[in-house]
Amino acid sequence: MEVAVPAAVVIRLVTAGATLAFVRQAATARSVALVGSILASALTFTAAISVLMGGPSLEGDFLRHTASGLVLTYSMTPLSAWFLMVFGLVALPVAVYSAGYFAHSIPASRMAGVGIGFNVMLGAVEVVFVAADVITFLFAWELMTLATAALVATEHEEPASRRAAYLYLVMSHVGTGCLLAGFLALGGSSGSMSLSTLLAGNLVSGWHRDFVFALFLIGFGVKAGIIPFHVWLPEAHPAAPSSISALMSAVLITAGIYGLFRVCAFGLGTPTSNWGLLFMALGTVSAILGVLYALTQNDLKRLLAYSTIENAGIMVLGLGAGMVALSYQRSELATLAMAASLAHVLNHAVFKSLLFLGAGSVVMGTGTRSLEAFGGLLRRMPWTGLFFLVGAMAIAGLPLLNGFVSEWLTFQALLLGFSSISGLIRLNYPLSGALLALTSALAAACFVKVFGISFLALPRSPAAAEAHESPRSMLAPQAFLAFMCVGLGIFPGVVLGALGGVLPSLPGLHNAMSLDWGTIETKSAGASFDHLAPATFAAVLLSALFAAVLLAARNGLATRRVPTWGCGGELSARTEYSAAAFSKPLMMIFNGVYRPSRRVETLTESSPYFPHEVRYWAVIEPTFERYVYGPLLRGVLGIANGMKVLQAGSLHAYLAYVLVLVVAILWWLGGGA
Amino acid sequence: MDMVLSALQAFAFAALQAALLLAVAPLLKTVIKKMKARLQNRQGPPLLQGYYDLAKLLRKEPVRSETASWIYVAGPRAYFGAVVAATTLVPVLVAGAPMESAGGILLLVGALTFARFALATAALDTGSAFGGMGASRDMTIAALAEPALMLGLFTSALGAGSLNLGELVRNLIVHGVTFHPSDVLAFAGLFIIVIAETGRIPVDNPATHLELTMIHEAMVLEYAGPDLALVEWASAVKELLYLTLLVDLFVPFGLALTAEPVSVFVALVVWLLKVFVLAVAVTITESANAKLRLFRVPELVSISLGLAFLALAIRFL
Repeated sequence: MEVAVPAAVVIRLVTAGATLAFVRQAATARSVALVGSILASALTFTAAISVLMGGPSLEGDFLRHTASGLVLTYSMTPLSAWFLMVFGLVALPVAVYSAGYFAHSIPASRMAGVGIGFNVMLGAVEVVFVAADVITFLFAWELMTLATAALVATEHEEPASRRAAYLYLVMSHVGTGCLLAGFLALGGSSGSMSLSTLLAGNLVSGWHRDFVFALFLIGFGVKAGIIPFHVWLPEAHPAAPSSISALMSAVLITAGIYGLFRVCAFGLGTPTSNWGLLFMALGTVSAILGVLYALTQNDLKRLLAYSTIENAGIMVLGLGAGMVALSYQRSELATLAMAASLAHVLNHAVFKSLLFLGAGSVVMGTGTRSLEAFGGLLRRMPWTGLFFLVGAMAIAGLPLLNGFVSEWLTFQALLLGFSSISGLIRLNYPLSGALLALTSALAAACFVKVFGISFLALPRSPAAAEAHESPRSMLAPQAFLAFMCVGLGIFPGVVLGALGGVLPSLPGLHNAMSLDWGTIETKSAGASFDHLAPATFAAVLLSALFAAVLLAARNGLATRRVPTWGCGGELSARTEYSAAAFSKPLMMIFNGVYRPSRRVETLTESSPYFPHEVRYWAVIEPTFERYVYGPLLRGVLGIANGMKVLQAGSLHAYLAYVLVLVVAILWWLGGGA
Repeated sequence: MDMVLSALQAFAFAALQAALLLAVAPLLKTVIKKMKARLQNRQGPPLLQGYYDLAKLLRKEPVRSETASWIYVAGPRAYFGAVVAATTLVPVLVAGAPMESAGGILLLVGALTFARFALATAALDTGSAFGGMGASRDMTIAALAEPALMLGLFTSALGAGSLNLGELVRNLIVHGVTFHPSDVLAFAGLFIIVIAETGRIPVDNPATHLELTMIHEAMVLEYAGPDLALVEWASAVKELLYLTLLVDLFVPFGLALTAEPVSVFVALVVWLLKVFVLAVAVTITESANAKLRLFRVPELVSISLGLAFLALAIRFL
């Protein structure tokens, strides 16, 4: 196991090189890239499991160059192992799926490029999770950004893809800049490059500490996609090929969450309650706005991207609740809240990658991403439909599926927080609990819409009517992920058992959860507060379901099939409820958030009472783009414009600058001596 | 061996309690209809009408739409199954829920969300605009009601120190219910939510088939025969379940602490009385109010949210 981490990186590098060698043979390039990726992911996954099972941490050097003193080190701590386990669990099925998906959706001329990008991105994410020093971390972080941007721009003839990749690069680099500044601020006071020294939590204090915290919050917040740093996410995720979108949503944003855990929550000393409250606020706002924006999207992949923002919000909410608890030395409560957040990292990765793979199959089968063009897909794509339904139920937080478990844990943390912390501050807990309830109910509405409009009733377009099911190699990974959704939902103890080694490794936490396979229990002041045994409930639900089936079949009469009543007219796809109509009531109720602008145009021939065509546009206001990033961008451009004065193209002026600078430096150094 | 035995016991208890709720629910529906009719100087249906309707629907030939898929068939069954499974999480006669080992309030709310998800999804399957309209409105109202429901439940649960309903009512009975003004606020808030969740006036009108005002009825408009029987029956059970939940949280007196036949019988009578009183309240609300426009419902629900939050604040600050 000791060599697993560098071995995985070497496999990725070799694979990337080999893929490049087959740049002219697309099929070979694809096979090489994906087989290599599967090998490396499997290796990482095994290593992560061994650490989670209580094995020794894996530490070592990637590279030690004595002459230059360059050392790249890694260390797989239990926290890294948790994120790597999630990574492996998603990366493996996604790679299998990609074999069929890439063959169909990626042009031969770009196959090698995508294959290399795929491996470089995954390898970089692995290294981010295990990096033990700042150089390795930032190098991998940057590589991850660049590889992802390249993959987002796969269809670079589309202006939207180019724009998405550009926006992603800009936002990510603002984030990386903040990280660099943060690490410099920490490194300046210690002189070390090792993350364990820098993040021991004793380097900074006072306002300096708050400042460093803010830098890291922006740096990691951009990657995690939390509002207000999210603007790149709904552009970049849909633009990438679907299996890459799955990885971006399931794995890439967890790199941001990992950073928030490692640095903001546990790397800068005991968090203050204000930090925790800020996290709770950001998490709640991300969750609620994420799902509200998701509800009104009619582009399937964009909708899923907004829902990723929602789920990142839930993770950050749990983390924030834990940080507040830490600041009040409520160790048990902090452990529970962090467990909720980490469990949601896993659960979200599983169901969101399932949904993105399902979306990929749908897009491949119909050639469009618009919900309004789908309909009746369940007949043409029965398996994709079934797996998508499981994913939709999981993300809606229904019991017996994994989404419910982490939401349950988050609620527990919030309610116990209310009972165990005193003062006005505790009112934040039930308030964010109520908003979390609203979020999950809106998510349920959202995914009833997605599944119902896409897979049920009559096809709304010829493309949907002639959709084709994906090959088995693409269905099997979805089946696996759907199975995981159910399995993790019925046996939540497995997840908490695996977390049992992770949580005590973090400063200030200890393991307080009583564990067995099927039941999770929370305690308040020693007494049982609540417990959950989904397997028991599954047995009850199945019995009741069985009773219902028997009851309705008792009369033994055969079913008669008749056409749906079309109100006297002919029933067609045009009379069906559309996706826009489904979310319209919520759009009107929350119009303070959406601030929609709509335009209706009626085309008539004879009488205005008999229009032959009605055209309808509705656009929701891009609040953050317009009111946050707009002024920011104008400000930056304005300053840049003002600075043109300095760079006027005159050689004499430039020489004068150099002279002034040299004199200033000499004066400064001399003054120091 | 002991574990198997106690599991079997719990299942038998759950089955009995579910059967009781299934038996009483159609009566509750008809009683409310009857009282409403009397308030309007009408005769109203006979008290057993609910049972006749179900028996008739169950005997009928199943008629289904040509466009519908298996989801359409699975929907009512999942709805029925989830609602009946939810009943096993709530104490009815005995101070303990049969399946309280499975989970508490959060699982109960989750099970009811499961039921709603199943029915709303199935409603989209026939291609009729009614189904989509009903599903859209039902999910909208449920989403708005959810935070108020949760906050109201949290207030009661935090007062009793447990989120498990069995544990909760036992704590309330053992420690004695101390009357607190916050209970009134929390009850009022939850009552509004119960009205909204069970499709009663002023949120929805169970007696209408007018396309502009239907919510629940629009969702199940295409169903017929045994499928419809399952939906109607489960909806009635759901209403009874919500009313039982209200009495459990606020007036848990009379619940049997042991399984002796006498105390269980007393508990049955007390439970029926308490539910009847709430049914009268529902009837009066239905008769004295006009149905709200869909876009006025958020105001009503936000009143409930405000009440629940006030209850929480005055109780714990």
